[in-house]
Amino acid sequence: MLRRTALAATALLAAGALLLSGCTGSQPAPSRSEGTPDPDATVNVRLVLEPGNLDIRETGGSALDQILIDNVYQGLIARTPDQKIVPALASDYEVSGDKLTYTFTLREGVTFHDGQPLTPQDVVWSLTQERDTPTYRDSARLANVATIAAEGQKITLTLKAPDSTLLWSLTGRAGLILKEGDKVDRKTAANGTGPFRLADWREGDSIVFERFADYWGTPSSAAEVVFSYVSDNQAALSGALAGEFDVLTGFDANLKDQVEANGDFTLEIGDSTDKGTLAFNQTSGPLADVRVRKAIRQAIDKKSIVEALGAGKTMYGPIPSLDPGYEDLSEVAPFDPEAARKLLAEAGAENLSLTLTIPSAYGTTIPQILVSNLRDVGITLKVNPVEFPTWLNDVYGNKDYELSFVLHTEARDFENWANPDYYFTYNNPEVQKLYAEAVAATDDAAAADLLKQAARIVSEDDAADWLYNGQSVLAVASDVSGMPTVNVNERLNVAELAKSEG
Amino acid sequence: MIRYALTRLALLVLGLFVASALIFTTLRILPGDIAQLIAGVNSTPEQLAGIRERLGLDRPIPVQYGDWIGGVLRGDLGSSQLTGTPVVSELLQKAEVTVPLGILAFVVALLVALPFGVLAAVRRHRPDGVAVSVGAQALAAVPVVWAGMMLVVVFAVTLGWLPAQGFPRAGWSDPAAAFRALVLPAVTIGVVEGAVLLRFVRSATLQAMGQDFVRTAAAKGLTRTQALLRHGLPSVGLSVITVLGVQVAGIMVGAVVIEQLFSLPGIGRMLVEDTGNRDLVKVQGELLVLTGLVLIIGFVVDLVHRVLDPRQREAE
Repeated sequence: MLRRTALAATALLAAGALLLSGCTGSQPAPSRSEGTPDPDATVNVRLVLEPGNLDIRETGGSALDQILIDNVYQGLIARTPDQKIVPALASDYEVSGDKLTYTFTLREGVTFHDGQPLTPQDVVWSLTQERDTPTYRDSARLANVATIAAEGQKITLTLKAPDSTLLWSLTGRAGLILKEGDKVDRKTAANGTGPFRLADWREGDSIVFERFADYWGTPSSAAEVVFSYVSDNQAALSGALAGEFDVLTGFDANLKDQVEANGDFTLEIGDSTDKGTLAFNQTSGPLADVRVRKAIRQAIDKKSIVEALGAGKTMYGPIPSLDPGYEDLSEVAPFDPEAARKLLAEAGAENLSLTLTIPSAYGTTIPQILVSNLRDVGITLKVNPVEFPTWLNDVYGNKDYELSFVLHTEARDFENWANPDYYFTYNNPEVQKLYAEAVAATDDAAAADLLKQAARIVSEDDAADWLYNGQSVLAVASDVSGMPTVNVNERLNVAELAKSEG
Repeated sequence: MIRYALTRLALLVLGLFVASALIFTTLRILPGDIAQLIAGVNSTPEQLAGIRERLGLDRPIPVQYGDWIGGVLRGDLGSSQLTGTPVVSELLQKAEVTVPLGILAFVVALLVALPFGVLAAVRRHRPDGVAVSVGAQALAAVPVVWAGMMLVVVFAVTLGWLPAQGFPRAGWSDPAAAFRALVLPAVTIGVVEGAVLLRFVRSATLQAMGQDFVRTAAAKGLTRTQALLRHGLPSVGLSVITVLGVQVAGIMVGAVVIEQLFSLPGIGRMLVEDTGNRDLVKVQGELLVLTGLVLIIGFVVDLVHRVLDPRQREAE
């Protein structure tokens, strides 16, 4: 009997300690440190969320994008930490005036990690296969591409209709260039063109990158970067203080004093596109009433959330400040419990009781604030913490929820507000039309302006609430330089990461 | 004796079968599946269906069970649905951490429990004996996580003697580093488990002291302590062996928590992550092996007990 109890306990514990998948994000803005970089250095970086497997084509989750894109796999073009688009495997590119023809000049002398040369045919094959394989995760992003052809080093894409998101998509998964006919098992290994070779993956523990000696560009500063997956912040802190880590990502800003105590580490904070999204299921029930949704938004004190987290900014609409189309929308739903109570009374929604479904990995800070804020206006909030797979099943898949909280990390993901089938359950034809126009726009400024209009409508409709715009929180050792700090949950380009000698 | 062993063996096999069905069905009750995790939060229902089909998740549950158990009978525990790595090789790799961790923890537990347990019994009316009993009560109530964190703060962060977390990538090819990485985790589990075991030892010793054969030995001129050490301790040893199976399960549960806390790439942490990823084929293989291990240890303990304890043989 005792034995069986113990086993049941094992299973329960196993089920309990789940981590979020697809919900951490990042991008770079180099950090300090003087001294000569040590060319033989190994830099130890703590990450939070381990990918389930490494199949960048099929497996979702920003844990893959975070380390594999830029470092191991590359596209014709890439994005910088401040979200600019720059050439990568293409030395330059041109877009025709009608925005229907994109021409890229492929670099020569590029080799894959297994020693094979990169050919124009590899590019055509990679993009064609991505477009034509619906189970590939970002396949739909190339749906507008009619033809992909190579002539010499020139790669030409022609479009069925203008697509202002295409270049951005090509800096992501949809644009990655692989070797045609490669036999490598992408689930556990990788063959790319980036500055690092994937040297080792110890599942459940760490991933090791090694400098790729035949890299076409500037070789990486560090000989080796070791990513260790440590979910617990306290363990990460101890590891850093004991000298086992050089960089902590996904850290807790409230531990600033502890990690900086002995002077070896500095806490660094960078902007991100992480959006703490409180979704409302507005198909039926009290949340179908816009007054109730507005009241909830006005009842929640965003500043106290940001304070409790120790990092982050307030945000009042679906687009974060790093993305095109951002606008300060704080006047749409300012913190005002009195107004909230009035709205609830008008809606006849007194003594309202609602349930929040939240993946348990997000902890209790946010639910506690929500419970207390909503109680102040007469709403009883029940918190239902679930494992992430349960959230995916109930909330994302079946839309079986009232309120849901998840941190959406992806940059430029406004499309979800224009998709009535998404779990947000938001359906406004005007927003859908504006978004379609933004995609079809032939001018970036015009596209951004259309997005801005659409975002304002989404916020004015109180389609959801945005509790905070997250920030990347890192602790960086004093002998380390070149660590990106912007949006590192989504992209962590470590090519310039270096450790000084001595 | 042979008939006894065969009966126990039959029960063991039956137990494993029942366990396999229980493990399989309970895992299927968990909401969410691996296809959803692979597809992520920007997927279409068509992509999801495609992945489900490729992984064979669209087949009826009994067919999936039949597939799995058929493989197990042929000695194939299956492979991870995420990475394609065979369950057996993953288990063997992670066992390099968890098995030594468990053995070390068990040694620590015995080092705590045996001397102090006997001491607490023999000197139960003296201040030191009482202090040991009270101390053990308190220690057994300490949460493992807290104990681990305190040890890390003292020995890793402040003194810098031992690593705070992680296991060397070189593994056991660098035995000193590997051993050092396991010391704090093993002590954490071992001390807490040892405190529990100590109370077993104490009561077993007390019982032994009241036995006729110990009193007879004392009457024949040995001191009470001598009598206890020479004639009483074997029966204390038997009690300890009896709870061995329970202890192994306890250490396994401890490993799940401690491997998280110390970021050790062991079986416990793997189970947590695989369950989180809904890599059910892998989880069910792992759980079946662990269940088998506990059942086999229980089986061996029963046999050893039988061999060592003359009273049980005579009762037959």
